[in-house]
Amino acid sequence: MTTIAPAQLADMIGSIARRILSERDRLNRLDAALGDGDHGTSVSAAFAAAATDIAELKQPSAGDIWLATAKAVMNRMGGASGAIFGTFFLKGAGHLRGIERVGKSDMEAVLQAGLQGVKARGKAEVGDKTMVDALEPAVTAFCGADEFAGAWTRATEAAREGAESTRELVARRGRAKYLSERAIGHVDPGASSIAVIFEAVDDWWGANPTPSTLQFEEAEH
Amino acid sequence: MSARKQKLINKPEAIVDEMLAGFCAAYHDIVRLERERLVVRAEPKAPGKVGLVMGGGSGHEPAMLGWVGEGLLDVNVVGEVFSAPGPGPIIEGIRAADRGAGVLLCVSHHEGDRLNAELALEFCEMEGIENVDMVILYDDISSAPKGSESERRGTAGLFFVWKMLGAYCEGAVDLAAAKALAEKARDNTRSLAMSLSSCASPVSGEVMFEMAEGEMEIGMGLHGEVGRGRQKALSADDTIDLMLPQILDDLPFHAGDEALVLLNNSGSLTLMELFILYRRVEKMLREADIKVHKSWIGAYATTLETAGFAISLCRVDDQLKDLWDAPANGAYMKQV
Repeated sequence: MTTIAPAQLADMIGSIARRILSERDRLNRLDAALGDGDHGTSVSAAFAAAATDIAELKQPSAGDIWLATAKAVMNRMGGASGAIFGTFFLKGAGHLRGIERVGKSDMEAVLQAGLQGVKARGKAEVGDKTMVDALEPAVTAFCGADEFAGAWTRATEAAREGAESTRELVARRGRAKYLSERAIGHVDPGASSIAVIFEAVDDWWGANPTPSTLQFEEAEH
Repeated sequence: MSARKQKLINKPEAIVDEMLAGFCAAYHDIVRLERERLVVRAEPKAPGKVGLVMGGGSGHEPAMLGWVGEGLLDVNVVGEVFSAPGPGPIIEGIRAADRGAGVLLCVSHHEGDRLNAELALEFCEMEGIENVDMVILYDDISSAPKGSESERRGTAGLFFVWKMLGAYCEGAVDLAAAKALAEKARDNTRSLAMSLSSCASPVSGEVMFEMAEGEMEIGMGLHGEVGRGRQKALSADDTIDLMLPQILDDLPFHAGDEALVLLNNSGSLTLMELFILYRRVEKMLREADIKVHKSWIGAYATTLETAGFAISLCRVDDQLKDLWDAPANGAYMKQV
C-alpha cells in the first residue's frame, strides 16, 4: 500500500478510537496525577464520536474525514486539550483539500501542519510537558523515513520516548503548570495519548487493511 | 480533610446531561434547555439588545446556570466537568443569544475557555456570523502578579461582572459599550480563595490532588490549581487576616471606597463557618473605612465538594451600584 484511500483513512480513525478506549483507564490514572483524572474518558469519547460522525458522511474525501475528526475532537473533548488536539486535525484538513488518495508526502504535510498548529494554539514547545513532547519527535521520525511502513513504526517509537521524557519535566503550559515541581515524576497524559494514537496507526498499518476488506461504501477510483 | 469519593450519581458519562435536565425542570419558569447543552432564558430578551453568552465547564454549580435569566446572561453553554465546551456548542450558543444587536461572548480566563472561544470566533468569521466579540474575565490575584492582571484566572468574583453586565445589556447599548462595561466591572474586581481539602472527579472517581489533614492552601484556583503554596491551617480570623489585606492592596482599595463583597463557599464549608469568617471581613473593612454596599454569602461558584472559600470584592461607583441594584431573575441570583 503506497497511498491511503478515504475508506482506509476512515478505518484508521476507527482503529484509533478502539485503541484509545482500551487505554482509557490508564490515561485517566495518568491525568489524575496532574489534572482532573478524566483525560482518557474525554479523548476516547472524542474519537468514538469522530468514528460515528465519519460513518454518517456520504462519500467523504480525505479532507472531509480529517475535518469531521477535528470537529468531533473539539466538541466532544472540550477544554484546552480538545481545542489543541482538534487543531491538529483542523490544520491537517486544510492540506488534504483536493487530495483523493493520501501519499507519504501528503501525510508528511498533514502531520507537519498539524504539529505547527498545535504549537501555535497551545504556545508550547518541546520540554513544556505537553503533547508536543511526543508529537514533534513522532512527526520528525515519520518524515525521516522513506515509506509509510517503517515511518509509522519509527514515529511510534519516537512518540513513546517523547511521552516518557515528560516524566521528569515541570509543566510550563496547561493546567499542570500550576502544580510546578509537584508534576515531576508523572508522565503527561496528552503526550501519552499521542503515543497511543501512533501505536494504533502502526498496528492498523501492519494489519494491511485494503479497501476491499472495509465496509465503507466507496467507489474505487 | 479527604475528598468525598462516593457520589450520588447514576452513570458517570451522563452526569452533565442529567444535571441539566434536573435544573431546567426545577426552574422551567426561568430557563429552558436547548440543543442538549445550552441553558437559555425561558423568555428571550427583546430584539435589538446585545446578547450575552457565557461558556464554561461544569462542576461549579450554581455557576453559571443560576445566572441565566432576565437582567443576567442569555445563554450558558455547558461543558463537561472542569472542561470548557468546544467551539461547536459555543457557536450554537451565540446563535441562540443573537437578538440582532450583536453577541458578547464572556470568557472566564482559563486556557481551555480562551482557546475554544478563539476557535468559535474564527468559525463565526468563516461562516459569516457577524457582530460577535469576546471579553476575557479574570479576578484571581494569586494566579499572576500585579501588573500582569490579564494573565490571571477567572474565579468567583465574576459573579459581579455577570450581574452588572446583564443589567447593562437590558438597556439600549451596543456591543462595544457592553464590552467596555464588562472590562470596567472586571478591572474593579479582585478575589482570593483558600482551600482545606481536595475534591474527587465524579467522572473518574479520582481525587483531583492530595491535601494533607491540617494543611491549607491560599490562592487555590477554581479547579484546584496551585496558588501561593501550602501552609498549616489557621483559625478563621487568622485566615481572613492573611487573605483580605492581599486583596485590598492589590487593586488597591482606599479608605472611602464602596465595595460589594462576596464570600463564596467552594463546596462544603458550612454557613456557620462562612458567617464567622464574614464577621472578621466586615470588621476589617470597617476599620479600613471601606463601605460595604451589599454582601453575599453562599455557594455561588463551587469546585465540587472542596472545603474552602473565596473572598471577592468589587469597587463600585454610582453606575456599577445602579447596575448591581437593578432587577434580576436567575435561579440563583434574584434582585427585585
